[in-house]
Amino acid sequence: MISKEDIQKLAELSRIKLTEAETESLQKDISNILDYVGQVSAIEGSADKNVPLNHNVMRDDVPYEEGSALKDARNAIVDAFPKKEKDYNSVRKIIQKDE
Amino acid sequence: MSNLNELSIQEAAAKLQAGDITAVDLARACLAEIEKRNKDLNVYLEVFNDVEEQARMADERRKAGESHPLLGIPLAIKDNILIKGKRASASSRMLENYVATYDATVIKKLKEAGAVFLGRTNMDEFALGGSTENSAFGPTKNPHDESRVAGGTSGGSAAAVAAHMALGALGTDTGGSVRNPASFCGVVGLKPTYGSVSRFGVIAAVSSFDQVGPIAKTVEDAEIILSTIQGKDQFDSTSIDGNLYPKHSEKKVIGVVEGLAESKVSEIENAKRKELEAQGYTVKSISLPSLKFALATYYITNFAEVSSNLSRFDGVRYGLALKGDSLAEDYAKSRAEGFGPETRRRILLGTYVLSAGYYDAYYGKAGLAREQLRKEFETAFEDVDVIMTPTMPDVAWKIGEKEDPLSAYLADIFTVPANLTGNPAISIPAGLVDGLPVGIQLTAAHGDEAALLRVGKALLGESK
Repeated sequence: MISKEDIQKLAELSRIKLTEAETESLQKDISNILDYVGQVSAIEGSADKNVPLNHNVMRDDVPYEEGSALKDARNAIVDAFPKKEKDYNSVRKIIQKDE
Repeated sequence: MSNLNELSIQEAAAKLQAGDITAVDLARACLAEIEKRNKDLNVYLEVFNDVEEQARMADERRKAGESHPLLGIPLAIKDNILIKGKRASASSRMLENYVATYDATVIKKLKEAGAVFLGRTNMDEFALGGSTENSAFGPTKNPHDESRVAGGTSGGSAAAVAAHMALGALGTDTGGSVRNPASFCGVVGLKPTYGSVSRFGVIAAVSSFDQVGPIAKTVEDAEIILSTIQGKDQFDSTSIDGNLYPKHSEKKVIGVVEGLAESKVSEIENAKRKELEAQGYTVKSISLPSLKFALATYYITNFAEVSSNLSRFDGVRYGLALKGDSLAEDYAKSRAEGFGPETRRRILLGTYVLSAGYYDAYYGKAGLAREQLRKEFETAFEDVDVIMTPTMPDVAWKIGEKEDPLSAYLADIFTVPANLTGNPAISIPAGLVDGLPVGIQLTAAHGDEAALLRVGKALLGESK
């Protein structure tokens, strides 16, 4: 069974705040689910030998023209920022002093 | 003029073209049915306020000489597909007030065809679930029995079509989310080949599985919607054109999987197989040894991609933004409040299976199993046109019955393989078990939607 500390660590990595009650129920559910999906350990072969079928498709690195659909979409996305200065998305300071 | 909402798209299109009815008549018939039943069924999260206006425009376009089978046809749209200027919430508190800034490519194509959008339909939050019970806005009820789920994740879209609150609908299918509710509600649901429909403007759940698909009353109607929305799109680099895969010639052979457990649907499946044999098909037994790992493989991949796809919801650029004592607190609060329990559970699970110590044991193995299954499908389709299974192992369950998340996952056993391998699959209504609808699933080779439509029509008696 996965430990309570592990659940708290996962929550921290996932940037999700959990309540005490939720931590406990997640401990049970996540343990059950991991037990079930753990059956893939019976699959033979090494993961690093698996060559995926898909490959990346890149678009040309050119700016969208004024009046194009994507340029309009860009402007609409900027309009949706919760807080902005000119065209910049205003976010709060990340680096903080340790107390 | 009553019951226009009960017409198929094909029937309605013929009447529109003949001038017997108008798009406004059709829209009003659907709106009247919505007015009557939406309160009880919780199918639409929002009915758009410009439906009649859209219908009037469609009528004008027809007067000006345009014609398309979807011109003036009222459709329901799943709440994770963007329509410019309308809300798209993915049934989440996180995006409750999010207004789409552009049209999804599928919406753009439907607008060009002249379809009328009735509203946005309920779903499991971020397309995570199989019953629409994970919606932040309450479950959708099954039109055949309101104490039961409509299936999911496109439960609202399937229920809208089944209850004649729309002539057709768009859903999205990540692990069966079009086919599962189609089976539970007794309608047709088609998941196209991976990449054959653009996902530009569709809120991502699991990017290596997601496909947009039609939900309709007949196979013919599903085909009309599919042919309108499919095709390569410069805005979705995973989209493909119709010529990517080799053409398949008709063999008139149905594949059945060896050693599949009996389910409640087996009897109906056998009967349907006999019907096809009577129409000149032969049945061949096929072997898919990796199928036993399909669910575990599917869920590992699902958790992993969900945790990374949903990391964009941080309250910084759009969506729910709550303030804490620090930026880290802002994230943690916004994501705790914005996401429902199943979504949070999957994000944690995905974080676990992708962590350095467990990556090879889970995600790495899942990738291997996925590739093995894909090869087994490819071999199978050398000899058969379609593989036939039930869509779901049972009828729609009672709302609240599956409290344990794992028990709900296990119901996806028949639908997830097509998402793992990228093959197209369709659910065809096949009859009733315990008075409730069940569907039969057909899966075809990559790019061979034609086989699904052909055999699907044979099953529903739509063949000419």
